[in-house]
Parts: sequence; structure tokens; C-alpha cells
Amino acid sequence: MRHPKRTRMSDPRRKVQLATAALLLVATTMTACGGDKDDDAKASAPKAPATIPELTKDPLTLSFIWFDWPPAKALEAFANAEYKKERPNATIKVNTVPNANWHDAMFTQFAARKTDFDIAILDSQHIGEAVTNGNILDLTDFVKKNIDVTAYNPYLLAAYGQYPQAETGKRDENASLYGLPLLGDTWTMIYRKDLIGDKPPQTWDQMISAAEKCQAENPGVSGLAFHQANGSDAAAVTYNTVNGVYGGNLWDPKARKIDGVLNDTAGQEAMDVLVNKMKPLTAKGSGNWFIDEVNAAVAQGKACIAFNWIAASGGLLDPKESTLGTTREQILDKLGFATLPTQKTNLVPLGGMGMHVSAYSAGANQAEALNFMEWFERADVQKKWAAAGGVPSRTDALQSPEFLNAGPFNQVYTDSVPRMRDMWNVPEYARLVNIENTNVNAALNGAKKPKDALDDIAKEQQGVLDSGNRKGGGGL
Amino acid sequence: MSDSVPLTTDRPGQVASATPPAPGRSRRLSDRGLAVAFISPALLLLLAMSVFPLLWALYLSFTDYSATRGGPANFVWFGNYTAILTSAQVHTRALTTLIYVVGAVGLQTVLGFGIAYLISRRTHGRGVLTTLFLVPMMLSPVVVGLFWRFMLDAQFGVVNSMLGSLGLGQVEWLTRQRTALLSLIVVDTWQWTPFIMLIALAGLTAVPKYLYEAASIDRASEWFKFRTITLPLVWPLLLIAVMFRAIEAFRLFDLVYILTNGGPGVSTETLSFHIYKVAFLGFNTGTASAYGILMVLVVIVLTQLYLRYLNKLKEG
Repeated sequence: MRHPKRTRMSDPRRKVQLATAALLLVATTMTACGGDKDDDAKASAPKAPATIPELTKDPLTLSFIWFDWPPAKALEAFANAEYKKERPNATIKVNTVPNANWHDAMFTQFAARKTDFDIAILDSQHIGEAVTNGNILDLTDFVKKNIDVTAYNPYLLAAYGQYPQAETGKRDENASLYGLPLLGDTWTMIYRKDLIGDKPPQTWDQMISAAEKCQAENPGVSGLAFHQANGSDAAAVTYNTVNGVYGGNLWDPKARKIDGVLNDTAGQEAMDVLVNKMKPLTAKGSGNWFIDEVNAAVAQGKACIAFNWIAASGGLLDPKESTLGTTREQILDKLGFATLPTQKTNLVPLGGMGMHVSAYSAGANQAEALNFMEWFERADVQKKWAAAGGVPSRTDALQSPEFLNAGPFNQVYTDSVPRMRDMWNVPEYARLVNIENTNVNAALNGAKKPKDALDDIAKEQQGVLDSGNRKGGGGL
Repeated sequence: MSDSVPLTTDRPGQVASATPPAPGRSRRLSDRGLAVAFISPALLLLLAMSVFPLLWALYLSFTDYSATRGGPANFVWFGNYTAILTSAQVHTRALTTLIYVVGAVGLQTVLGFGIAYLISRRTHGRGVLTTLFLVPMMLSPVVVGLFWRFMLDAQFGVVNSMLGSLGLGQVEWLTRQRTALLSLIVVDTWQWTPFIMLIALAGLTAVPKYLYEAASIDRASEWFKFRTITLPLVWPLLLIAVMFRAIEAFRLFDLVYILTNGGPGVSTETLSFHIYKVAFLGFNTGTASAYGILMVLVVIVLTQLYLRYLNKLKEG
């Protein structure tokens, strides 16, 4: 079949069609470019009511978002067992994502102004970003009316809820609160009693010496195991911990100054200790280790001294996952848990997370979320949470036999509370921690000299804090 | 029907269909209308899923918009583009990506063609061998990344265990600057060599047998036959495979994310991985959009140059 040649553009109808199509495309683009009303409004966190609104009697699923680790499973089981007694129509669902995707999973949904979770479990450092974007509810009035704030160590309440950030160890009672504590946490020192003795090292220098000696005396066992990976906040927390112990500071919050503060003499000494004294005592190829790898090294008997988050240490006592003994008691004969050694200061890293109500959740779910939080922070519930394997934040629960007898590392947490220091919780946190993580990781793995790495961190982080008025290229 | 005379209307330039409408079909629906009706859903989907996001990203690339911060998108015009093109961070990632693309695609081409050549010379078990070689290509890159991560683990990995049994020392595959990038190249090669092999095999099978027979009569050596018959005939097809692989390798993300997370430090961060960080760590949507547009432009320009070379080769 032969097709006659067409003279396309000479057909006026075709011109009209093309023009209409082009117009439609431009119109669609312009409409989209215009953005919605939310975009034009100045972002700020909406306020939660002081009184819990009337709760629904219909079946309701209260969804959380967290990362995949044992406390997430413990929370879901605990809440469904206990909260259901009070609210039979409510089901608790703790959605989990891999740790590396945790921030992205929450904030991409916040960006869409629609979340499939009602309660976001944020790291304390994420608060600034969520608050300035208006992603979570302001709980100040709700807390005043429903929560006994005197029942907590003020810094714990501040760390998991306050913005702007509190000074280390304190709480600003005039500042707003955007969250309530869910799970407290800090690092514990895990040491092999059978290899270095029953008494844990008291100073950082002693700890390094003990690890050195243990490694030399026990071929195949490395002196130390700690977080070094460049994902999440792994390597950054390690450096920040050593920085704190050696008297360094992460920044001057009032002057928003990092360059010259982080990389001062104390900061340089901390980096030198980490890279030149501690790193040589770790296993070969441990430069990408995080929580699971450190636990595996301890459970396999491959480390004399290790550092890990308390909330992730429960599995170490499981005989099925350990080569250190066939019963919990046998494992405990070999493993000891202690607070971190001190050196120039006694600071320890603040871990754990708080509960925050999504601003985009349905009204009934927000009401249920507030009710859950009020319930969860009650003295009796906090003790039950402790007994179920959680780390509470109320002082009475932290000192209760329910908590102290629930795990060999719980006393470590209680003793560590007055010693805690957190990182920055500014909106730029994700970028600050990425800069620190990648540079510390580079120093630990020989890709950068320690001094250069620290100077680069200080310079790049300062650049992020100072980039507020930059025109174009934000994020580079 | 093939020689039927086209029907013309009284409107110049418009040609009516030679095929009469099927019985029972509305007289209003012309062949052209029917064609538009059939194409429209796919076209609309393409517009909504590809064209519109591309235009939207293009618009955002000239602004300082942030997906999480909200607020109006302020025009910074070429500010994002200038910042990206002059950024030392981007230059480092571009170099890493270039080394990776050249290393991985080069290795895959040599191995893929070699395997295809060997398979093409076999008469028995060709099908089974080809199928077996194709298995890695069918796996998800995330799965491939995960099991290679275990295999390359310095402490517990099977690779170091094998090296140990040969009396060789442990290698820190994923945590040292040079070995980490090499590991990425090796893993990508393991997965994507079969792709080159498959295309090379198609080319090799299409080489006319009589050329080899004629060369044999002239007592040509195997190397001569390979150099003057096999390679020139398969070369254009192989170059197309190289182009596809190079484009894929240029936008590598998944293996980096799983195997090294860009480390140690940022030494294995590729351009795509860097875009991800710019887009999601600080939610600098405007900058990330400009970064993405620039990557697309680079691919388009390089592909055009490459295609021109291919056409010249074809004409020659």
C-alpha cells in the first residue's frame, strides 16, 4: 500500500492541534509551578491541643515509624499487650525501615505533606529539621497539662523534645517541646571479664592499655570494636564520644561556630587518640562496622572491649547467637557492662529517641497518639516498659527494680544519665552528620590524615551553617 | 488493496484513508481518530510520568526550592548550575564515576566478547552455557550487592577465606580506597558481563560462514580471520552494547549504596550517589534537580557523539 506524501505544516488543523498541545503542557507546568497554598505559608509546627480530644470508638490503627531493631519489635508487642487493655479498639503498628533509610523514609513523607504514620520516632537530632518544616505538632501546652515534667531528669526531657536545643545537661523551661521520650540510650562499654579482669578500666588511657594487652595475649581477638561505618551517624558518634571525653566541643551554639572549636587542641587530641591509638586495636576490615558488626564480634568472642548502644545489646546475652556460653549465666561470666571510662571529662553520648506526632495525621489518629503518649509516660507504664526490655526516661522508672533487674546493662544507663551530651539538633543536622561521618570514616580507613579530616569537618560544617543566604548550589 | 488509488478530499493536503471503515463502526471515527484514541492512553502516561517530571525538574533546577522546607521557590537562575560545575566535590565524584565507567565497561567488554567468542565456537551445550552465564544479569542489583558484601567481608567473607587457604593475607576489600573501587568494578563486571556476551554472541552468530570458508581456502590463520572478519563485523554491535552499559554504569547507585555506602570517606561516591545525598540529606531539591539535568545532558551529548561515530563506521 502506497502512502501519499503529506504536507504536514500546511494543514491549519494540525497547527491548531500542536498549539493546543503546547498550551496544555505549559499550562500544566505553570499550574504545578504555582505550588499549593501550603507552600506559600511560612512553615512552623502546628500546636497540639492542651487537652486530649474525644477519642474514637471505631477500630483504629496507631502507626509508628522507626528503624528495624529489637526495641521496635519490643515496642509493638508491649503496646499491643498493655495499651489495648485501656483502648481495646486501638491496634499499634510499628513500621520499620533499615537504619540507613530511617531519616529519608520519614522526611520524604513529610515532604509529601502526607504520612502513613501517626507517631514519628525521631532521633533527637532530627527535631530541628522537623520543627522548622512544620512536620510535627508543638506539644508544649499538651505537656504542661498532662505530663509531670518533674519526674524526669530535665536534660532527658529537653533532648527528646525541646527546640531550640538545650544547653548540655539542662532544660529551658520557656522553650517549646515537640516530643516526649520513648527510649533512652547511651553507649556501654562491653568488656571480657575472663580476658581483662572483673574490674573495668576507669580511664580512657587505661582502657586502651587493657585492650592493647588483651590483644597481644590473645591471638585472633582484637583489642577493640566500635562503630566506624560512614552510614547513619556511626563514625560521627564515635568521634564525638572521644571528643567529649578529651574535653573537646562540637560547636559554639550561641555563635554558631564550628571551625576553630571542633578542631581545637582538644579536638585534635581526640582525633589522634581515635585514629592512632584505638584504630590499630580493631579487627582488619572493621572500617565499615556499625551496631550489628560490633555485636557479632563480641558474640563470637573476637573483641576484648567493645562499645555499643545499650538498647542494641540485648542480643549479646542470647546463647543461640553467642559462642561465649550455652546459657545466659555463662555468657555473663565472661561479659561485663560498664559506663564509659573517663579522661578529661566524664561525658557520654546521648542516644535514644522521642515520640513526635505527625502534623499530617488524621484528627482521630492525632488524638489517639496524644492519648498513647500520655499513657506511655505514666509511672506504672514506664516501669512495665522497663520490664519489657525498654529503656524508660522517668527517674522513678530508671531507679526501679523492674528496670535495674531487667538487664545487666541497665544500671549503666541509670548511672550515665547525668553524664550525657547530644549532638546538634539544628535543621542542617543531616548534612552536618554526613560531613562528619564521611571524614571520620576516611581518617579511620587511611583515606585522609586525621588532622586534615578534622579540619575538613570543621570547615565544611561551618560552610553548611553559613550557607543560609547562598544563592544556588545549596547542599554542595 | 495494495494498489488502490488514494482517495483525496476537496481539502488540499489532507488524504483520506484508502481503507473503508469496518461495518458497524461509527462513521465519525476516522482511521486517524482511531489511531489517536489508541495512542492517547500511552501518550498521556508518558507525558505524566516522564515528560512532565522532566519539565518540573528543569523548572526546579533554576530555583532554590526544598521539598521539605516548603515555601515559595525563588529563582536563582543558573546559580545551581554554576555551583555544581565549579564544585570541587562534584569534580571528585565525576572522576570517580569516570574511573568506574572506564574500568567496569572495559573489563566487561573484553570478558563478554571473549566468552561469547568461546561459546560461539562450541557446537554442543551452547544453549546451556549461555543460559548459565545469563543468571547474574537476571538478579536484582541490591541482592547482588548484599551477597557480595558478605563474600567480600574482611573478617568472615568467603573471598578472604579462600585467599587464606592459599596462604595469602587478608584484604580489606570494601574499606580501603583502592580496593573499594576495584570491588565495585569487579561486582558490576560479574553481573553485567553476560549482557555484553549476549549481544556479542548475536553478532558472532550473524557473521556469514562463507567468509570463514573463503579465508580457510586462502589458508588464513585464526588470528587473521579474527582480525579481518570477526572483529570488523561484530564491532558495530559491540559498540552499541558498550554504549548501553556505559550509560547504565554512569548512573550507578545501588551497588555503591549497598557495598560501600560511598566509602571509605567519599572515595567511591559516584555522581548519582552524590545527587541522592544532595536531594535527601538536606532536601536541596533545586540543586539536586540541576545536578540531575546536567547528568542527563552529559549522557545525551556523549551518546550523540558516539552515535555519529557509529554511523560513520557503518557508512565506512
